[in-house]
Amino acid sequence: MKKLGKILAVHSYKGGTGKTLLSINLAATFVKRGKKVCLFDLDFRAPSLANLLKVDNASCWMNDYLNGTCEIDRVLIDLSSRIHNGGQLFVAFANPATEAIRDMSAKDRKWEMHALGRILALRESLIGDKGFDYLIFDTSPGLQYSSINAIVSADLVVVATTSDRSDVNGTQRMLHELYELFEKKTDVVLNKVMQDVSSKSGKDVQAKLQDMYRVPILGLIPCFCDVMRAEGGIIFAQDKPEHPFTKILNEMADTIDKTA
Amino acid sequence: MASQEILNKKPLHVLEKIKENLEKLNEKMEVMIELQKHGKQDIQPPLTDTPLDVMTLLSMPDHLRKTAMTLCRLGRATADEIAQQTRRARAVESAYLNQLVLMGYLKKERKGRKAYFYVERENQG
Repeated sequence: MKKLGKILAVHSYKGGTGKTLLSINLAATFVKRGKKVCLFDLDFRAPSLANLLKVDNASCWMNDYLNGTCEIDRVLIDLSSRIHNGGQLFVAFANPATEAIRDMSAKDRKWEMHALGRILALRESLIGDKGFDYLIFDTSPGLQYSSINAIVSADLVVVATTSDRSDVNGTQRMLHELYELFEKKTDVVLNKVMQDVSSKSGKDVQAKLQDMYRVPILGLIPCFCDVMRAEGGIIFAQDKPEHPFTKILNEMADTIDKTA
Repeated sequence: MASQEILNKKPLHVLEKIKENLEKLNEKMEVMIELQKHGKQDIQPPLTDTPLDVMTLLSMPDHLRKTAMTLCRLGRATADEIAQQTRRARAVESAYLNQLVLMGYLKKERKGRKAYFYVERENQG
């Protein structure tokens, strides 16, 4: 029997922790394994996927789906051709126009309640009816309506963190005052690690992290200069199969595949 | 006049009506018992059409959040169906659901002997 698809929400307390990098590359890693994946840009305050994936021909946006003015089939753009010898990759983009950002930030509680219903409905329409293996929500940092809607709808929350002190404190608070309250399975990814992750000091970082957050650690990503240099323009899982970052992504995908 | 009409119908129907009213009364009693159990801080004046958004879910007491979240996921359900998901007793879920109705977050609809609870999201599915 085919395993039922799962929803991942990639979230963080602070911005710039690597959510989008992680979302795109995890999606690509699963597609490389022959999975049918849909990646969603749910960061309506600062949309980035349309720009990073160089798509400018979207006729319907995720904004329209949440507004109830179009159905999800019209929002999804097939980018399977970007990943060679893989499964299928679809992306739902957030509208990067300033007017759209302004419109989304002025929504009221009632609208947000409807939006939650629309996001919850994706499980049936995409996993149930269309046979998707993974839905990956790239969210806005912190306590934003759109992000919490995504978290509530997800099976697993992947929290991207760095060693920055304000990020650590904020992440700890979110673990206990957000994910835990919604009874969400949560994994942490530490990004921009300065130590060699395979050395003893790397293992120490992992142990310290585990002790601090008391949730499973999905992975440690070293501070790769070539990831920074790529300026978000390279899908490592596709373009650099031998890169250590791609290997780390594969290990994360293994863990998610096994547990999710 | 209304009671005269009821008496003119078949006794079985009258009994059904009494049973239905007793069930309603029972649900109200369960709500009162639960309200007392969790102290007065949970009690809010009855509101109408208060949106059940995620920030509201976050600020709810834990026992109500569990019920409300399960209903959000199912869309529409009986206390029995909620209880199967939360692994709590049906009577407990019934009390929480009715409390959420009183607070204005949920709507309740009777279909025959079953009571369905749902989040009202008009215009959108």
